[in-house]
Amino acid sequence: MLEQIFSMIFTTSFGYSIIRITSPILFAALAAVVAEKAGVTNIGLEGIMMISALFGVLFAYWTSYWWVGVIGAVVVGIILALIIGIFALKLKTDIILAGIAINLVGSGGTIFLLYLFTGLKGNTASLTTPGMLTPKINIPILESIPVLGPIFSGHSILTYVAFILVFLVWVLLYKTAIGLQIRAVGENSNAADSVGISVLKIQYIALGISGALSGLGGAYMSMYYSQSWNTGIVAGRGFIALAAQAMGQGEPLGTMFASLFFGFASALGNKMEGMQGFSSFLVSAIPYVATIIGLILYAATQVRRVKRVKNNGKKKNAEAK
Amino acid sequence: MADNEYVVQMKGITKVYPNGIAANQGVDFNVKRGEIHALMGENGAGKSTLMKMLFGLEQPTEGEIYVNGEKVSLTSPTVAISKGIGMVHQHFMLVPNLTVAENMVLGMEPKHKGMFMDYKKAVEITEEYAKKYNLHVDPNAKVRDIPVGMKQKVEILKALVRGAKILILDEPTAVLTTQETEELFKELIHLKEQGYTMIFISHKLHEIKQITDRLTIMRSGKSMGVYQTADISKEEISRLMVGRDVILTVEKDQAQPTDVVLRVRDLEYTNEWNKKMLNKLSFDVRKGEILGIAGVEGNGQRELVDMLFNLNTPDSGTATVNGQSVIGQPQRKIRDLGVSLIPEDRMTFGMAGTATIEENLMSDRSADNKYNNGPLFNMKKMHEDSDQLIKDYKVLCKSRNQQVGMLSGGNIQKVVVAREFSADPILIIADQPTRGIDVGATEFIRKKLVELSRAGAAVLLVSADLNEVMELSDSLIIMYNGGIAAYFEDTTSLTDAVMGEYMLGLKQQSDEEVRRVQHGE
Amino acid sequence: MGNKQKLKFEFMRGFVAIAIAIAVAFIFIFICADDPAKALNCLLIRPIISNGALNVSSILTILGRMTPIIFTGLAVCVMFSANQFNLAGEGTVMAGGFVAALLAIYVPMAAGLHPVVCILVGAVVGGLLMLIPAIAKVKLNASEMVCSLMLNYVVLYVIMHFLSNVFADRSQGSTQTYPFLETAKVAKMVPGTELTWGFVIAIIATILVGFFMYRTRWGYTIRMIGINESFSKYSGMRVGGVIVLSQVIGGVLSGMGGAIEVLGRYNTFLWKDLPGYGWTGITVAILAKNNPLAIPFAALFIAYLNRGCELMSIYASVPAEMIDIIQAVIFLFFAAEQFMSKTRQKMVVKETKEELAKKQQEAAVEGGNA
Repeated sequence: MLEQIFSMIFTTSFGYSIIRITSPILFAALAAVVAEKAGVTNIGLEGIMMISALFGVLFAYWTSYWWVGVIGAVVVGIILALIIGIFALKLKTDIILAGIAINLVGSGGTIFLLYLFTGLKGNTASLTTPGMLTPKINIPILESIPVLGPIFSGHSILTYVAFILVFLVWVLLYKTAIGLQIRAVGENSNAADSVGISVLKIQYIALGISGALSGLGGAYMSMYYSQSWNTGIVAGRGFIALAAQAMGQGEPLGTMFASLFFGFASALGNKMEGMQGFSSFLVSAIPYVATIIGLILYAATQVRRVKRVKNNGKKKNAEAK
Repeated sequence: MADNEYVVQMKGITKVYPNGIAANQGVDFNVKRGEIHALMGENGAGKSTLMKMLFGLEQPTEGEIYVNGEKVSLTSPTVAISKGIGMVHQHFMLVPNLTVAENMVLGMEPKHKGMFMDYKKAVEITEEYAKKYNLHVDPNAKVRDIPVGMKQKVEILKALVRGAKILILDEPTAVLTTQETEELFKELIHLKEQGYTMIFISHKLHEIKQITDRLTIMRSGKSMGVYQTADISKEEISRLMVGRDVILTVEKDQAQPTDVVLRVRDLEYTNEWNKKMLNKLSFDVRKGEILGIAGVEGNGQRELVDMLFNLNTPDSGTATVNGQSVIGQPQRKIRDLGVSLIPEDRMTFGMAGTATIEENLMSDRSADNKYNNGPLFNMKKMHEDSDQLIKDYKVLCKSRNQQVGMLSGGNIQKVVVAREFSADPILIIADQPTRGIDVGATEFIRKKLVELSRAGAAVLLVSADLNEVMELSDSLIIMYNGGIAAYFEDTTSLTDAVMGEYMLGLKQQSDEEVRRVQHGE
Repeated sequence: MGNKQKLKFEFMRGFVAIAIAIAVAFIFIFICADDPAKALNCLLIRPIISNGALNVSSILTILGRMTPIIFTGLAVCVMFSANQFNLAGEGTVMAGGFVAALLAIYVPMAAGLHPVVCILVGAVVGGLLMLIPAIAKVKLNASEMVCSLMLNYVVLYVIMHFLSNVFADRSQGSTQTYPFLETAKVAKMVPGTELTWGFVIAIIATILVGFFMYRTRWGYTIRMIGINESFSKYSGMRVGGVIVLSQVIGGVLSGMGGAIEVLGRYNTFLWKDLPGYGWTGITVAILAKNNPLAIPFAALFIAYLNRGCELMSIYASVPAEMIDIIQAVIFLFFAAEQFMSKTRQKMVVKETKEELAKKQQEAAVEGGNA
């Protein structure tokens, strides 16, 4: 039995599918990272992905250029995130509730919007033409290397974008002026305010970036992963992204590993489907169970850390005496 | 035309807050170029308000401000900074997870290629300023990891790098150890030599004497005059600073104290910045007396109250109510022992703003048998008692169903007091019970406190209001540096001048004298 | 502002929010309906009046559809009142329904007792599940929100596993369980409709939760913690325990709702995805401003709109999912504290002025008398 699993895991196609499955989660998780760094919780990622996935397909269909679709998805993502921003920051709706409202639009409203724009019901399979899908990229040299080639080459262009974005988001947060201000606002908005930084402006910017990133995640789902848009397309990936952000402790790299972990567990679930003696459903539950356990362990270490810091201070004091 | 000898002139400044409190009344405040000017006064004297206006955080109701002879309208900190005014806040405005250099340049980041932050440049700037002003900091350390003294240097450098020529230092030594304070003073003198002007807010007389050129004393929102530091004695400063103006007298009989109710022994606490806030503190409060705790704020009073109500835990020491420990006990148990607390921060601890008056009055007793019939509340009893309390405590409101947050400060405090006093307490801890509320409510609350103590409650009154603490207390402790500077068994012959000298650390009673507050055992 | 004024303002604000949402709906309808008049008729009138007479069957359907969302609305109401953003309503509804279904299939019992036991066990399962995010929050300060979201999916997949690998009725084309025993079903109030006695239980639950929140010490403590946790602690309330309690009650209510819905509406268990009632419950609770007694009215409103959209999709070919957009719009404006804050400011100023004028008048009268 174990042999069977191992022989399955140690195949290049399994590695390939991990990366394929991780990409959309990674987009959304990075979106969560940026928003959370500025002190705003964007729980609307799920809905934003759903809606931008739809508009990605529509824009690509209308123009027959896949890249217009991607840009359209990003723009729609930004607009939706800013709507959350206006309600949460200006009209003082609780930001969690504002996000939930966007998710409502995402879950059912999209079906209506699809009908509104195309007259179709439930999915866009009939619209899809190969030109609308984001192209696969074979990376020269890498593709001919055994093992690595089949795993890392031949993904959608957006997959590469997702992993490059891990680096770019890190650069944004840690190497740019705006990133510095985002981190300052998220951690101590009074301090930021006292040196003339507009806290609201920074939070809008962070939400906008978060919307753009989740828009890319949406585009990946409908214009590559599922090849078209349908009602169950996002299936909780926006929420998983929030968990990945939490498990990655809000840092781009850590969040990437958390996303890969989800990707691994999902890929495993997919592979084990139909295998004797294994329930694909239970395997699918693993990443969620792991997240809960991860969150609890992380919280426990935080509680311990606070205690330790306090005790250390006291100890130092005793020594000084 | 304003005289150019002065870098800052504030003329006839009056500030009335929307709640009607006049924090400044016709204050004149002038600072000469290149001096260190002390701004002194008790808590609530109006120093912070005055400085907030100079830093653009508040706008004066009346009066004019001149900087370098030019009339200015300081509408925001950004404007104040552009006029060369910088402020070092008492609570640091720093981002803990950023490095020192990042904090330094926040909001004015050096960049290359348009958007990338030039971190190297930020470090260079930090090092350059650190060297120039002799303020040594580690540019690459995260702020959360550096000691308090260095955090303060970062704050000063932050102001300097933004072009400040006039520095407002708000109680800069309050968080520092003795060595750190000495170091800071050297640095400030170094800055002075380079032509910077400093406004130094402090209560500590020896510091003022050591470092400042001139000083302005404030009391009750007014200026008590400007003096050359060298020409004025510490006793004179203390007399000008500490004093009573409006005296609300409260009639009270001689106290007949009996058994000890609250017994505090050797309480010690060091806060997270390694500053000792409580130092072997011991005292007793007896049934039937009001023991006042006076002192300049920040000398351990808040920490003491927090320990007694388990809002914090001491490092060592005991506190018992009728022999039962209250340290580390759940609040439910402390209340069941008969302890009531009027909290200093009534908005955070004293009330639930959007709940009704009735709901606020019932918060400590909602589980009592008399208010419950089995699983359900006895609403009739609740309504009756609430209405009675509203009547007894003269809470001005439309009905018991009005939201507490909609009431005036004085009426909110009456609701808090009504709840705490009606719980049949054997020990009442009243922490700044009348701060910031109107005269009528103040008088009412003070009378009630006396009434309850005469009826047999032990009262511990913590107050920065000298008038209050002297009028109400039967006996009195003055706290200084986390310990007891003086104990007065009888307050009737006590004068402001004597109080001031103990409060400001000029005098200290002997151990034997202080130990008199421990009755028996 | 006085209490009455405040109520008046809140009503006005709610009305404007609904008006905006309906206006949005109008715009959509005019864009996509072939016959906008007919579509509007379907949306607004047809759910209750059809062909000049009361549309009884539709009204009964609306009442039936209210049942599960009253339960989840109440659940959210209790949890949000304690300031706990627990979003596991979805998972607990499904878990409660599934466990009740298993009892209904495999454990024969007397007719009257059977559904009662099923519903109670469903409720207990819901409550137990909520212990996970609740205890993690209270003991370790872990985010109950992320934890509860994950819990939803764990519940979903575990149930899917049992449904398809253990309890599936292989004779059926789709994945579903064996049929429930007749004794276990929640009886219809009106045969042939969706309205079951579950509706009555929902109304009773509403009254009980209302009493609980406003007439018992536990509900009172929940509300005080939600308003100001520090104050509650200082007042001597058992904050941690009550936070756990609020979430467990939330789980009990949604578990119960799930059980009643499954046993009332279906003959077998066939949910293969999270049912969505948890999210609708949040909308309902927001509309009801966390007041349990207002929950049925909010649920009625949502069920009415739902039915209207459904009719619109049948007769005027406007997709029923328009409801989600309308809901989202209402939801956003209802929860926006600063929405129409200028109007509120004006009302406050006006009231203060009036009071001052009254006082002056009184003073003048007194002065005249003297």
